[in-house]
Amino acid sequence: MEDLSRFKQTYFDESAELLEVAESGLLRLTPGEVDSDEVNAIFRAVHSIKGGGGAFGFTELVAFAHEFETVMDGVRNNTVPVTTELVDTLIRANDLLGQMLAYAREGDPAPAGTTDGTVAALRRHLSGGDAPQVQAPAAAPAAPAPAPVYADDEDDEAGLFGDAMAAIAAARAAEDPVPPGKLRWTIVFRPRSDLLMSGNEPAFMLRALRRLGDATVECHTDALPNLQNLEAELLHLSWTVTLIADADVDLDKINDVFEFVADDCDIRITAEAPPPAAPEAPPPVTDPVPVATAAPPAVVAAVPEAPPKTPGADAPKAEAARPRPNGGGAEHAGLTSHTIRVDLDKIDRLVNMVGEMVITQAMIAEHVRELPPGEFQELLEGLEQLAQHTRELRESVMSIRAQPVSSVFSRMPRLVRECAATTGKEVQLVTSGETTEVDKTVVENLVDPLTHMIRNSIDHGLEGPEERERVGKPRAGTVHLSAQHRSGRIVIEITDDGRGINRPKVLSKAIEKGLVQPGATLSDEEIDNLIFLPGFSTADQVSNLSGRGVGMDVVRRNITSLGGRIGVYSTPGEGSRFVLSLPLTLAVLDGMVISVGEERFVLPLTNIVESLRPKAADLHGLVGKCDVMMARGEYVRLVYLHQLFGIPGAVADPTRALVVLVETEDGSRLGLVVDEVLGQQQVVIKSLEANFRRLDGVAAATILGDGRVALILDVAGLREMSRHMDSRAPRPPVAALPAPALEPV
Amino acid sequence: MTLIKWSDEGGTVRLGLPSDLDLAMAQPLLDSLRAGFAASQTVIAEAAAVERVSTACVQALLVASRHAAEQNRTFAIAQPSEVLAEACEDLGLDGWLKQWSQA
Repeated sequence: MEDLSRFKQTYFDESAELLEVAESGLLRLTPGEVDSDEVNAIFRAVHSIKGGGGAFGFTELVAFAHEFETVMDGVRNNTVPVTTELVDTLIRANDLLGQMLAYAREGDPAPAGTTDGTVAALRRHLSGGDAPQVQAPAAAPAAPAPAPVYADDEDDEAGLFGDAMAAIAAARAAEDPVPPGKLRWTIVFRPRSDLLMSGNEPAFMLRALRRLGDATVECHTDALPNLQNLEAELLHLSWTVTLIADADVDLDKINDVFEFVADDCDIRITAEAPPPAAPEAPPPVTDPVPVATAAPPAVVAAVPEAPPKTPGADAPKAEAARPRPNGGGAEHAGLTSHTIRVDLDKIDRLVNMVGEMVITQAMIAEHVRELPPGEFQELLEGLEQLAQHTRELRESVMSIRAQPVSSVFSRMPRLVRECAATTGKEVQLVTSGETTEVDKTVVENLVDPLTHMIRNSIDHGLEGPEERERVGKPRAGTVHLSAQHRSGRIVIEITDDGRGINRPKVLSKAIEKGLVQPGATLSDEEIDNLIFLPGFSTADQVSNLSGRGVGMDVVRRNITSLGGRIGVYSTPGEGSRFVLSLPLTLAVLDGMVISVGEERFVLPLTNIVESLRPKAADLHGLVGKCDVMMARGEYVRLVYLHQLFGIPGAVADPTRALVVLVETEDGSRLGLVVDEVLGQQQVVIKSLEANFRRLDGVAAATILGDGRVALILDVAGLREMSRHMDSRAPRPPVAALPAPALEPV
Repeated sequence: MTLIKWSDEGGTVRLGLPSDLDLAMAQPLLDSLRAGFAASQTVIAEAAAVERVSTACVQALLVASRHAAEQNRTFAIAQPSEVLAEACEDLGLDGWLKQWSQA
């Protein structure tokens, strides 16, 4: 039973993924623009959950999934029209299916009547359309006996794979037991309609199958169009082959037949062993585990709905399927999966261990520097290789933890839909860069900030449809959610084409709340950033969505706690853009060790452009502002680290010190004045907040090879700090420049 | 490409199927079957010469037989060659061929 628990766990894990697939599909389901691939994907997801649930005896779940599936089948067959109400019902059904799975996982029965309302709603949609009558739930005792499975009006793809397969197998097992020493394979082969155009010929495959044993081929012609509508080169036939073969014919041999068409067809293969009464047959099966004995180990054990019990129906069964290019779902995961599920703790232990290894490697490198030059050449070469391998190992381990942000982005369509309904606005969500990968922890912690920011964009940013029409915009507002890698970080942007930040209103609200002194002169950027202050809200009325003034400051806190930053850019009348910048990983980074006085700092390598020693002629002072340096044709603000951090004994004159030119995520540059650049090193990130507290201008800390703690600098944070203090060196300005000539910082 | 031979004898359209009924021949075959049913109540596909057959062409013949049944027309596959019979057996359509063929 331990193995059974493992299968159950896999079932629940996969079901969670399938629920997401279904939800994503449902959210894209638009009346009048029904995409059949999308509908099929939803159907398969629900069907797979039902099938697996049946195998584990989750009767209530199966019964409900069956209702859900029946309506989806109606949608597939165009007998249930897709309306907004239907989509709402289906989304509710999907939620409820998730709840039923949660009950099943806990081993609790669902409270009486849990599904009644949703089932009634689902059935109303069925009866409203020209749909087939709702059948009794498969698990119910009154389930109808398996009808002629391939009746002419049957066009049920998943039925072929699921219910009907079980029915066929059971009926055959009852009538015609499998001879001892043989296996009966049932192969359902449903090619895509364009299979022939790729030069494949089903007749050859079916002939190859016939050669494997005693085969009976049934051709299903129900999907054939009439003579006028037939397109000559499109295939509308499918087949079920029953093959009684010797035990040496295994799943691989059968799969080999379809090797070249795996992406162009749906295939479901089921194996039946002789009935348990036979002495040499495998033992009777009461749970799915021994199924693997009837077929290769990778077979997924799941028999969807058991038909009314018939003698011999307990014979072991195995199912397997080739993956389909459009995402086959859980029922396909077993056979050719190239992935494994690993406990996250194990990966985290590995990450920690790699982190320690990086530190150890840095320590060895530190000691090696003290060796006499020219000696121990082999040792040095070996250490160089070790450093390289350590780097590759680190990158490999980090990539294990990396996940695409699509898992977060996929939740947003629903949020937008709900917000749009609540506010009465018309909203279109556009996403891009969903495949951008970032550390799992970052992904998980993105959900809340993104949720709030999108709500904020819809609630505060976008105008209502009438207002938009008045100002010449389309009725529907657009919220664009994008992700991309930039400068070794992930940058996520939420852009809306709404009214933009109302700066006079923001400023007056801030003054009213005492957040800004009356009469203070703030730049547009500074006003925009007021929305991140705790307790700030401009909403005249508190809505369910936002306007409680507890949102954007929490968003910023969440982002900064991940080592990230948030910025806002707004144009009145045109919209706002929120930019989140987050580290790709929270464990290790490539850094440059610099010294200022007796202190050591680490600069993330991704921020560094170059280091140089400026001539006096390149330096200028901005009156009342700061020092700038001419570098590569542009003026760059100088930031004196010794001043920012109050470090004594540092080199104050830039012409004698070094200037490290760094770039932030938004492309702006700074020149950091440091004493020395000591060298490049991988460093293990140790959270300062977890061990001490957050410091401005500091992203985290690390332990250097000599055992010293060094702070990892946050370049954008340094920029903010430098703007709030006069960081000019005690040196007369060479030339005064008007402030606007300075690049935006 | 071998052509389908069309003949109309006393209200019966006879389609002489070529030796090679490959995928490329599916469209001409379908066109001929449509034209045959448009011209006559009875369409006979003569299949003695068939030496190579694709599933697409079998499918076209299958649809023609359905059409005949639904429209109360007459359709038959005359003298199916061994190759055609084997292909139909591979495709699980031997019963259908038997039903619609005439020696």
